[in-house]
Amino acid sequence: MIMEKELNDYLENMEKYLKPIPVSERIDIINEIKSEMQELQRNGVTTEAIIDRLGNPKDLAKAYLGDLISKESGFSWNRFLMACAFYSLVGFSGMVVIPCLGVIAPTFIVCGIAAPILGAVKLIDYIFTLNIPYVENIGIFLGGIVEFNPIVEFIISLIVGILIYWAGRGAWKLLVLYCKKISKTASKLSI
Amino acid sequence: MNIDDWKSQIKRGTLEFCILLLIKQESSYGYEIISTLDKYPIIAAKENTIYPLLRRLLKEGYISSSWREGTEGLPPRKYYSLTDNGEEYLAAMSVEWENLLNAINEIKGE
Repeated sequence: MIMEKELNDYLENMEKYLKPIPVSERIDIINEIKSEMQELQRNGVTTEAIIDRLGNPKDLAKAYLGDLISKESGFSWNRFLMACAFYSLVGFSGMVVIPCLGVIAPTFIVCGIAAPILGAVKLIDYIFTLNIPYVENIGIFLGGIVEFNPIVEFIISLIVGILIYWAGRGAWKLLVLYCKKISKTASKLSI
Repeated sequence: MNIDDWKSQIKRGTLEFCILLLIKQESSYGYEIISTLDKYPIIAAKENTIYPLLRRLLKEGYISSSWREGTEGLPPRKYYSLTDNGEEYLAAMSVEWENLLNAINEIKGE
């Protein structure tokens, strides 16, 4: 169906005034008005009459916004206290939880990957006697009490690496879960 | 005598009730709702009243909406239907409405 320029202008104008409303809802509102315009056109109503019927685009947009404002300015002590409690809790727990998990997750993941790689380097150096520089600094050192064979060291580093890696992944998942939970609760409280 | 002022107050208080009653009868879209209400001057309302009201009822969960594609030259329409929550709300409103009518009738002495 052809939309006349005046009607398109009307919708564009209206959209401009609907800015405080989230995009998806805004599009829905515009589509609904557009649907009515097409309905009226189909019934043979002229463009001028359609615009006349809908009124000033600014006023129509404001009618939607009016609802938004009256709803959000509604102040209640209950909601205020709930917001205080929520942010106190989030503030305190966030001070500990977010930095801890934020540090643990990446370092554990990196170390978990690095450990077996280094173990492998030493193993290769040992098998092929390559004498790669600084390899003597790689290994499991227990203060010189026990010395491991590089093969054993590699197996240990692989096991430990996997464990650390999984711990890091776990910490990351916890962090994501924590953040999701907070934003979900915040939007539920609409604060 | 300013009867218009009183009429607009009645309209404001009952429009929500009327819209929910309409939607309960059959799923409907904005233009159809406006056209139906237009038949009754006491509750006739314009787009700038009906659409924001529908949006509020939607947000409060009393009605749900779904777009239906238009066929044969018909534009796509946004249909509204009553939710379970809306049914409950409407039932409660109907009770209060009966109470009001009974009260008026009794006071009038009929």
